[in-house]
Amino acid sequence: MLPMIYFVLLGLIAAGSAVCVFLSKNPLYGALSLVVTMVSLAGIYGLLASPFVGVVQVMVYAGAIMMLLTFVIMILNAARDVVTPRFDRVSIFVLPAILVLAGLLAFVLISTPLQFHAEAVRGSVALTSATLFDMSKEGPGYFILFEAIGLLLLSAMATAVLLAKKRLGTPERETVSKEVH
Amino acid sequence: MELQAVYIQFLALFIFAVGIAVVLTRRNVFFVLMGVELALNAVNLSLIGFSKTLPAAMSITGQVVPLFTIAVAAAEACVGFAILILIYTNQESVDVDNYSNMKG
Repeated sequence: MLPMIYFVLLGLIAAGSAVCVFLSKNPLYGALSLVVTMVSLAGIYGLLASPFVGVVQVMVYAGAIMMLLTFVIMILNAARDVVTPRFDRVSIFVLPAILVLAGLLAFVLISTPLQFHAEAVRGSVALTSATLFDMSKEGPGYFILFEAIGLLLLSAMATAVLLAKKRLGTPERETVSKEVH
Repeated sequence: MELQAVYIQFLALFIFAVGIAVVLTRRNVFFVLMGVELALNAVNLSLIGFSKTLPAAMSITGQVVPLFTIAVAAAEACVGFAILILIYTNQESVDVDNYSNMKG
């Protein structure tokens, strides 16, 4: 009974702030609603006995990604934009398509027998990290994926730095080289 | 009334639908990126919810995969916002309809 109450509360907060993202006009308000969604989803992860994913969700999503988003909104001063309308006329035709898609998926979900498995393990920090860094020959081999993700993040960071620079290949100032001589 | 596995899938479906709606209908480019994040979050929730319907050795897989999804989402946001800064300095507009020409 108690998990259901917590799930209803957190789910209502998550769904409501997701709708707030859909309806808000100012990008900063949308970003803050998105933070609320992510934090309440982290609570649901904790409720579903995977606290490690919840912690990572708070750290990476609600911390890093949303910080980046609000930082970009503030640095571009884009929240002052009042010209752009929220929706356009095509939206009227897009929304029924999304509703039909959601209805089809809901029909499939209803007709699928889903039960919580009694032996489903709790994704604690110790167990998850032991699985993630299991380097034995019979192990699942997630550590290779982990290395690949590290490379992906490194290349993404390099790409972001190169893209956000004003001009590529700006020559060094000549005064510096003169001082050297 | 106990918590059922299918309720979590319904919540994930709702958040995913809202995220897709934000991506497809909003005209502000920041909201488009936020909608992508919302949909990715819903997929993570769905993975966690499905992993709890599996027995012991398999249920841990469903709790490791979302970690990679989150990392990929971080990389996506990083590159996406860099591209956004670049476009915004060129176009001075947040309306996605103005981004229709790819002339450098």
